[in-house]
Amino acid sequence: MKSIPRYILLFGPLLLFLGLTYVLPFLGVMRWSVTQPDLGFDQYATALSDPLILSVFLRTLRICALVTVFSVIGAYIVTLLWIRGGPVLRLVMELCILIPFWISLLTRAFGWLAMLSNRGILNGWMESIGLINEPLAMVRNEFGVIVGMTHFLLPFAVFPLATAMRNLDERALMAARGMGASRARVFWQVFLPMTGSGILGAALVVFVFALGFFVTPAILGGGRSVMVAELIYLYIFQNPNWGLAAAISVILMLTVGVLMALLMRIANPAGRGNG
Amino acid sequence: MKNKNTLSSSNTITRRGFTQMALMLMGASTLALNGAPVHADTGQLVFVNWGGDAGTAYDKAYGAPFEALNGVVVKQDGSGPTEGAIAAQHESGKPSWDIVDVDPFSAETLGKKGMLEPIDYDVVDKGKMREGFGWEYSASSYFFSYIIAYDAKKFGDTAPTGMADFFDTEKFPGKRAMYKWGVGMWEALLLADGVAAEDLYPLDIERAHKKLSGFKENVVAFWGGGSESQSLLLNGDASMALIWSTRARLIEEDTGGDVKFIWDEGLISPGAMAVLKGNPGGKENAMKFIAAAQDPEKQVVMFEMLGQGPANPAADALIPEDEARFNPVDAANFAVQLPLDMAWYEENYGAALDEYLKIISS
Repeated sequence: MKSIPRYILLFGPLLLFLGLTYVLPFLGVMRWSVTQPDLGFDQYATALSDPLILSVFLRTLRICALVTVFSVIGAYIVTLLWIRGGPVLRLVMELCILIPFWISLLTRAFGWLAMLSNRGILNGWMESIGLINEPLAMVRNEFGVIVGMTHFLLPFAVFPLATAMRNLDERALMAARGMGASRARVFWQVFLPMTGSGILGAALVVFVFALGFFVTPAILGGGRSVMVAELIYLYIFQNPNWGLAAAISVILMLTVGVLMALLMRIANPAGRGNG
Repeated sequence: MKNKNTLSSSNTITRRGFTQMALMLMGASTLALNGAPVHADTGQLVFVNWGGDAGTAYDKAYGAPFEALNGVVVKQDGSGPTEGAIAAQHESGKPSWDIVDVDPFSAETLGKKGMLEPIDYDVVDKGKMREGFGWEYSASSYFFSYIIAYDAKKFGDTAPTGMADFFDTEKFPGKRAMYKWGVGMWEALLLADGVAAEDLYPLDIERAHKKLSGFKENVVAFWGGGSESQSLLLNGDASMALIWSTRARLIEEDTGGDVKFIWDEGLISPGAMAVLKGNPGGKENAMKFIAAAQDPEKQVVMFEMLGQGPANPAADALIPEDEARFNPVDAANFAVQLPLDMAWYEENYGAALDEYLKIISS
């Protein structure tokens, strides 16, 4: 009983801040979506039937799904080496995880441009050793966007995975080994399933984060409106149609909201005890 | 100069930027994008440009001299006055911007919605503009062109001679880069498709888009800002690009002449200044500023620093002969180009851009 007021006291300022700076404006956005230019749900009808908007939604989902798969697989390997490797490997992995956090999103996107463009480092190197004759198109397309986003999001997938791997009961692995399972079999049939909740959590974090990406696709996507955040920018600033932009934002928010609810479920499964 | 700067404005975390924006758009706040509270008639003017080097240049050419003469501080804001951003200023009920660097057709659209002040031609002198470049809601302040820049190293002695060559990847192999926001691109497509210059307007958008659909796989990128167009040519991602003339000189210099440009069939676009309705610094001062910016010598500073073609024809003579080839409105260059029809854009731009984006994004 006593802990409830203290809990509110501690979280109150944060909730107030979020309410004022986030919920309130978002209510305004919701209002626009049904009032601009006319009262009603016309903008939602447009957003869900316009071929451009639908294709951008689909592409956003596809890119986010691919980025999620690549990030989680990559992060799984990194985390495995980090948690279960020797001291030197551990240090190297720690640096690999931390250093990207110190470099701005913008710098990294431009870094990929320098790396992957026609006169970039990779194409130059492959041409010089005779692997290719003509430069490969690796940026300013979907491929470039996926590379850039995966690079950014991989470290975020590490932490849920690390938690799952740390909480794993070592005795289960020993028991499996003791019963004669090969290393590979222990991994596929025991270790991997037991870190399942970490994998799901990591996937959701990456996916939700990826949905709102703006800068990376804008730089690496070749100027086509690749993802939905760019589309919202377009309808707010460049070719103003605020009602439509608001409707797209609300749809995006609902998608994120549903996924977040799912994430909470996985992170904090009600009624699942130790048994 | 014109740098529809999607990149640097999104430097911050998306969510924070979005919240800030939403707050502002709701009218729940009178804060400007730069966070400064606004008061009426502050004895200062806020001039909003497209970022990059523009702020420094505008300050040197127009801002500082205006302050020295009138005691009114002119602040530069590089956040980019897109149509949506100006509308947001208006919706807030208390704009924090005074003067904006806009496309004249945007200004007419916004002006008719009551968001801009009509230009006071008793203060601003129409005689110091080129014929036909003064509008109701904006005053001509400079010129730039959409022109072809090409990889001279790759194409050697065979230089492109017009838009037909830009869309001919057999004669001129390699990828292309085009402008993301459509302006000038429709004209280029139609000229290449065989439409005569005098028959361009009203633009046959359907025909232009048909040509674009068939060609778009050759376009490596649709650039949205000037620096992006430069890097496309510098990195060799595009062998030919339609770019702003203001950037052409920079690229030519940066590559030591490996990237060259032509004026032929270039599309001349006017840039203009407009004043927000109910601007904090007061309408009179804003009009006075625009009038002061008509001075030919100041316009030559803008030419030197940003490559802007002077709005005042009297400035042409002040440009050194060896630099005249970079001036989009120099008589020899003007003669081989076509001016964009602002009236057409005012009427049709939004719908045409919508279709254009559908094609390039799908």
